Amino acid sequence: MTLLGKLDWSSIPFDQPIIMGTVGSVIVVIVSVLSWVTLKGYLPYLWREWITSVDHKRIGVMYIALALVMLLRGFADGIMMRTQQAVAAGGAQGYLPPEHFDQIFSAHGTIMIFFVAMPLVIGLMNFAVPLQLGVRDVAFPTMNSISFWLTASGVLLTNVSLAVGEFAKTGWFAYPPLSELQFSPGVGVDYYLWSLQISGIGTLLSGVNFVTTILKMRAPGMSYMRMPVFCWTALASNLLIVAAFPVLTALFAMLLLDRYLGFHFFTVDAGGNAMMYVNLFWVWGHPEVYILVLPAFGIFSEVTATFSGKSLFGYRSMVLATMAICVLSYTVWLHHFFTMGASASVNAFFGITSMIIGVPTGVKVFNWLFTMYGGRVRFTVPVLWTIGFMVSFVFGGLTGVLLALPAVDWQVHNSVFLVAHFHHVIIPGVLFGCMAGYNYWFPKAFGFRLDERWGKAAFWCWFLGFHLAFMPLYMTGLMGMPRRLQHYDVLSWQPWLLVAEVGALVILTGIICQIVQIVVSIRHREQLRDTTGDPWNGRTLEWSTASPPPAWNFAVLPRVDELDAFWAHKQRVLAKQELPVRQHAYQPIEVPKNSPVGFVTAFFAVVSGFALIWHIWWMAGFGVLGAAVTLLAFMFRTKDEVEIPADEVGLFDRAHPVEVSP
Amino acid sequence: MTEMRWDVAPGDRPSIPASEQNASSGFLVYTLGLLLAVILTVTSFWVANTSAIWAPGVPAGLTVLAIAQMGVHLVFFLHITTGPDSSHNVLALAFGVLIVFLVLAGSLVIMANLNENMMVHSELMNLQMQR
Repeated sequence: MTLLGKLDWSSIPFDQPIIMGTVGSVIVVIVSVLSWVTLKGYLPYLWREWITSVDHKRIGVMYIALALVMLLRGFADGIMMRTQQAVAAGGAQGYLPPEHFDQIFSAHGTIMIFFVAMPLVIGLMNFAVPLQLGVRDVAFPTMNSISFWLTASGVLLTNVSLAVGEFAKTGWFAYPPLSELQFSPGVGVDYYLWSLQISGIGTLLSGVNFVTTILKMRAPGMSYMRMPVFCWTALASNLLIVAAFPVLTALFAMLLLDRYLGFHFFTVDAGGNAMMYVNLFWVWGHPEVYILVLPAFGIFSEVTATFSGKSLFGYRSMVLATMAICVLSYTVWLHHFFTMGASASVNAFFGITSMIIGVPTGVKVFNWLFTMYGGRVRFTVPVLWTIGFMVSFVFGGLTGVLLALPAVDWQVHNSVFLVAHFHHVIIPGVLFGCMAGYNYWFPKAFGFRLDERWGKAAFWCWFLGFHLAFMPLYMTGLMGMPRRLQHYDVLSWQPWLLVAEVGALVILTGIICQIVQIVVSIRHREQLRDTTGDPWNGRTLEWSTASPPPAWNFAVLPRVDELDAFWAHKQRVLAKQELPVRQHAYQPIEVPKNSPVGFVTAFFAVVSGFALIWHIWWMAGFGVLGAAVTLLAFMFRTKDEVEIPADEVGLFDRAHPVEVSP
Repeated sequence: MTEMRWDVAPGDRPSIPASEQNASSGFLVYTLGLLLAVILTVTSFWVANTSAIWAPGVPAGLTVLAIAQMGVHLVFFLHITTGPDSSHNVLALAFGVLIVFLVLAGSLVIMANLNENMMVHSELMNLQMQR
């Protein structure tokens, strides 16, 4: 028993040039960014306006920034695996040793799902949902900040594992018995578990926050059937979060008990049952798929309707399909383990439910197509991502229906065919959706549009690169290639994997285009400036306020009488040929007061997470105590709102002339 | 749905005037709930240990008491009522119950099925031993 638990100098892999090089350059980047920020004197601004902010828009932006940074990390893992598999054929061993390769594929999956897709989706919901609902903030603004910073804590712990210790070598779902102490005695699985426990709490809090916001806080007159589709999908997604994430938390808690206190939930001996882990993991895991993809579907709905200049075809069927998916997603989870010993009848049941869940998804695709049909479609960047999604996702979905047949699944399970399938639904579905949303709402968030040319270049690189990278995996999968191979002896796979490597490089070009797009857009922000608040001729309420919106979102809460409230308002104005007289009696508005509680709590969460991973018990106690004291101190606050005087509201409102008049 | 009712957002000041909110009735409801909950808990301990009940009936009795306990919690502590302002809560409860049912029933069926398939091996072993 030492003061620092299991931690010592040998925990840092000094002998691994790849890891040390990465760590070194990351440290250089962090230090230079931090010193630049400090020297320029931006630190107080960052602290005041961003880190302690409880504004849903700022938190949304921070979520998305976090996700985009982690996309770079996750993609780096991905392209390293592709490169390894492109070269490590026959006798060649490639450049990654097996234990490093194992960590990379585990980290890639974990990061892409939990720290890229989730923050992207939650970030976009954070930014857009309150604006679309026509309200001033989410139900629990400070809790929102805590959610974000807990997610960031998970991210930090996962990244620390690169430098100090190791990450899990178990795959992103950490199945026992491999993830039990007996077979994974290192700290990798503990890094995985604690970072996901901490960020999982953040996600659960977000879910509670959004369900409450959508159910309880809508603009006057906005009944359920007048909510924008994105809000419906956000509601479904957050209902799924609230129902599914506790399962994951409980599951990881059980695995942690096994690893730390000698319990036997999933061990091989003493009556443990590893199958229960697999079962419960996918009880969370399948709804998770829909947690990610439903909001993306909502974004596609908004984008198609806006850029076709038509109201969404089949709004009611869209809502119904969303809610049907919400419930059905809890009836299919066994299809993730068809081959693990269930009988034919059980497999058949879950195979059929898996096919049924394709039906509401098909309904949605037809709705988008019919929305575009007869519309005057403007081929902007969000529309390109949307069309790319539709073309690609249908095929990805079809391979899913194939895999839903237990007999087919038995042939290709655990092969790269499966890898190709889930990338084929997640990348066009979730990532393309988030990219569409990112391009669509960027002018609302920052007041200027993103550059179209670089955006289109990024889209085409992603689209082509994605197909080049993953279509070959269907082929090698059918040829019998298992997933997660560090090297292989079948030389006939190599040409396909070389093509996949080229695809990954094309995606890399797409990512570079996206970085250039941001830089170019910031440089040309004056030409790209959105002065109206409505750059796309939008339909929903977020376009009725200034870009970027003020902290209070709406000077006067909009009154909603129908679906597509802002569009209808604009039509009325056009019909009358006169602008409504803007005579508001402005009221002072109370906005929630900024609070460092999220940041401080998350700091202590990182401390205790790190301590628990390395068995530094005194430090873990200190971290938990610190977080508890922080939250207690927050509960005894005397002032939680700041009043914006009516003059200031009026001044801002008159300076920004787009607004739905009541 | 002609006239929409607007709920009070959490943390907002209640729309009902303070004079109409009867503090003593709230206290009474909680006390009554606590009393019922305690009675049900004590009874279930008694049922588990008694020999006054036909032994196979004990699980059934415990189940009934448990469901009653849930009912007491829902009504007295979580304030699930049939009132119109409670529709969100009722819907949320229904969704939760549905999901819990799907997860529990599904897991039981799946795990029983997996175990059954695993049994084949030991049965074969037994057959071999019988031979």
